[in-house]
Amino acid sequence: MKEKVLIVPCSGIGKSFGTVARAGAYAVTEDLCPEKTKLVPLALLVLGEDETRHVLSGAQAITIDGCKLACAAKVVAESGGTVAHGLQVLDVYRRHRDLKPSGIAELDENGHKLAQALAEEVKGLVENLTEEGSHA
Amino acid sequence: MPELPKKKVGIIACSGEEIAEGTVTRLAVRQVLESLRPEQTVTICLPLFLAGGEGDRVFARFHPTIAVDGCEKRCAARGTEMYSGKPALSIVVGDSVPADSAGLGSARRLNEAGMQVVREVADQIARHVDHLLDLQWDRRSGQPLASSLPQAESRTRQAACSCGFGVPVQTLQVAGREVTLIALPLIFAQFREAGKLPSDSTKTELLQAVKTYNPVPSEEEAAYAQAVMQEYAAFCRGSN
Repeated sequence: MKEKVLIVPCSGIGKSFGTVARAGAYAVTEDLCPEKTKLVPLALLVLGEDETRHVLSGAQAITIDGCKLACAAKVVAESGGTVAHGLQVLDVYRRHRDLKPSGIAELDENGHKLAQALAEEVKGLVENLTEEGSHA
Repeated sequence: MPELPKKKVGIIACSGEEIAEGTVTRLAVRQVLESLRPEQTVTICLPLFLAGGEGDRVFARFHPTIAVDGCEKRCAARGTEMYSGKPALSIVVGDSVPADSAGLGSARRLNEAGMQVVREVADQIARHVDHLLDLQWDRRSGQPLASSLPQAESRTRQAACSCGFGVPVQTLQVAGREVTLIALPLIFAQFREAGKLPSDSTKTELLQAVKTYNPVPSEEEAAYAQAVMQEYAAFCRGSN
């Protein structure tokens, strides 16, 4: 698969889970799979910027949402993108109930650990997507 | 008794994930919400204008709004205007606070210079909030002067977002066309709780309340008053 997997976190600014989504996206795109992924800012999609919509077309996206309103998944779909996986931070938290995050501007230790757990899950999905692509 | 939302300033950050200035907008807005003006401000996530419902999209028509952007693309300002309403003010980091992007740290982690810009942008936002609300501050106590506070105090709340808690709206027929009025369900509930029966004096009061949150063309005031009154009468019949 030549195309990078697009990682699109929500812009959640009112809840800790939004910040976890953002921190997890940075961990994937900068630390775990920098060669296979690309971070896409949601605000540019809201604006309908041509260049960003073009990046979406033909690529697989993994969206990470901090609440059930699922802005990232909805906006990517409305912008013509393909949501290969739509993750909810809440679901990741359910698998790691000992990591209840707090803080929005600055996550606490649990928040950082949850972001790392989220990033590890995303990494697995990225590897599956890229392996599928290379076998196609 | 139901309470109408009090006038607050809505602040919308672009939160741009790719550049350090985007992180500056996010942290500056959080600083205003959490520390500088927690009782006077509210926020909403920018993408919700596209992904949310009508109640979310009226945000900028209900609250005077400050858009805070990290770059000249001005996603927050333009997105807000496109989907909700024209912001009262648009701030672009770097325009107002000269900043060298590379010197701010990374989008993931700002350095001390970046955090200093956060504080400066937050102060700037807070000053604009005061201006929009016509607030005067006691510089010694760091608190708003009592005489400049809004008549009704807001309830203390966590500095969270308005996502999913959109302002209720109601659509009705005015002079043969559909008009959506912001906060009308809350206004009706408040009037009903106050025991105000449908009458000419109530009609006048209702129109005044509606005009607080909605533009009503002066030449159409009578038609609006009539339509709102009819809906209110139906609302009262339904709640008996």
